[in-house]
Amino acid sequence: MTNTEQASTVQRFNPSTAAKAHRAFSFGRIGAITVNTLTELTRLRVFYVLLVFALLLIGSSIFMAQFSFQQEFQILKDVSLGAISIFTSLLAIVATARLLPQDLEDRTVYTILAKPVPRFEYVLGKIAGVLLLLAISTLLMSAAFLLVLYLREQAVIQATLRQMSGAPPEQIADALRTIRSSALNADIFPGIVIIYLKACLLAALTLFVSTFATTNIFTIVVMAFIYFIGHLQATAREYWLQEHSSGLLTRVFLAIVALLFPDLQAFNLVDDIVAGTAISFALFTKTALLGIFYTTIYTLLAAFVFYGKEL
Amino acid sequence: MTDSPRSSRTEPGPAVAVYGLTKTFSVPLHPTRGIVAVRDLNLRIEPGEVYGLLGPNGSGKSTTLKIILGLVSPTRGRTEIFGRDSRLVESREAVGFLPENPYFYKYLTGQETLRFFGRLCGLRGAPLTARIEELLELVGLTKARKRRLGVYSKGMLQRIGLAQALIHDPRLVVLDEPTAGVDPAGSREIRDLILDLKRRGITVLLSSHLLAQAQEICDRVGILADGVLVCQGHLQELIAIESQTELVIADASAQLVNEIESVISRSNAKLIERRKSTTTLERLFLEATAKKDEHESRMTKE
Repeated sequence: MTNTEQASTVQRFNPSTAAKAHRAFSFGRIGAITVNTLTELTRLRVFYVLLVFALLLIGSSIFMAQFSFQQEFQILKDVSLGAISIFTSLLAIVATARLLPQDLEDRTVYTILAKPVPRFEYVLGKIAGVLLLLAISTLLMSAAFLLVLYLREQAVIQATLRQMSGAPPEQIADALRTIRSSALNADIFPGIVIIYLKACLLAALTLFVSTFATTNIFTIVVMAFIYFIGHLQATAREYWLQEHSSGLLTRVFLAIVALLFPDLQAFNLVDDIVAGTAISFALFTKTALLGIFYTTIYTLLAAFVFYGKEL
Repeated sequence: MTDSPRSSRTEPGPAVAVYGLTKTFSVPLHPTRGIVAVRDLNLRIEPGEVYGLLGPNGSGKSTTLKIILGLVSPTRGRTEIFGRDSRLVESREAVGFLPENPYFYKYLTGQETLRFFGRLCGLRGAPLTARIEELLELVGLTKARKRRLGVYSKGMLQRIGLAQALIHDPRLVVLDEPTAGVDPAGSREIRDLILDLKRRGITVLLSSHLLAQAQEICDRVGILADGVLVCQGHLQELIAIESQTELVIADASAQLVNEIESVISRSNAKLIERRKSTTTLERLFLEATAKKDEHESRMTKE
């Protein structure tokens, strides 16, 4: 590039292209960080490894040993929903743990925050990117699960129709109704939403831990502890309440424990779905609100810690 | 827009003002002990000037720049950008920043990188696209626009870094070691771009420990040592030796030189040194590499 070329280019600089007046909150800025985070995460090999592994597990359910069709559908739902739950949780932790430390290590965070971007928008953009990735993964895995379930349901219906070829139409209709009700039922969908919200909660908590962690490994190890304690804390709490009085001090202590270690067992509705127990609207709403509450609280805490962080 | 400095955009106050700035980093597990990175620093950088913050590694240059950009909070004192407290996010509307050894997202192309940073600055649609084109051309990366940053050379990364710093047409550009690790040709291009910014009236604050380059481009410099500003002023005033005068003469015969020497010896003045003028090593390097490129392109044509 010669000086003459530069000079001619410079003359075309146009200050009218300058941005509009600064806004304290901008969905545009958050959107830019969200899209970039999603792009970054979809380039990670771990995303594809986890996704392919989960899809293979769900797909393999089609070849499972068949007892009665009710048992077969139960196993299929149990394995598939379990796989979706574990893989979304794993993805939430592994994908989120690297986001902030990586940007700090690569110094990309300096370039971003040296622009008129408030720190809380940066954190919001990052978490929104992860939540979008989790939504895409959950949708893909759920679609695979529902496809396998539908294919098995059709295979069982065809086999039943062949076996009952001479039976009266009412008897055949009853049999088909039983098959359909044991295969695809409406409770699967709220169950998947709750699995997604549990992953969102874990992602927000991981982001919070990563704001004061020094390495990805530290964040992942801490999250592994929180994950297991979170699944056990409901049992521990009941035991504690049996042993101690439920005074104010106990309640405050339990509230702090509940904040540090969210009750992840509360998000485990897979057993109910597999057993065919209907998930009540009240239970779904309560669990969903709990998930949204925890996700919001952890995101705010992450934004608060990051706000005061020396970069 | 013409090449004339943007007088309409100049402010009555300084572009950057630093008042009594001190930054102490705490030592983990020793709350009473601290490392003083910058001590009682006062700076005033006028709009349109190129100011060089010089000093050895660890002298507090990068910390000072980070505080000015609001990335690090000061222990004492305050900093302002065009009269706005630099802790306020909106003060960064007027600033473009190129960090030392910048690492951008490797999976983005040059064009996508500029689009991302443009969107962070509130630019959208056709004006953003036009701006990206202008900047890619300015930094000489139009042909490499579709290539991922993962395959960019060090010099190309530095140039795309400069382009992102300019994306929102800032009035102040802060450059932390802009030519660190860049080869002489790339370094010269960046130097030319900085001089170009100066011509357009953009204030440039740069940190460097490459003194020869700072001498070529800076109007004023400040020298930091162990976090203390030990020297500051206009470059020519600081480096001029008042008692000495240099004459550079072309095509002088030996007789003429001898006559000049005899005039000097008859006066009270003293001839300190007589030597042939030399070129700079940088110029020699650039001429030699340019000749090689020319030769290769001629051979290819033949």
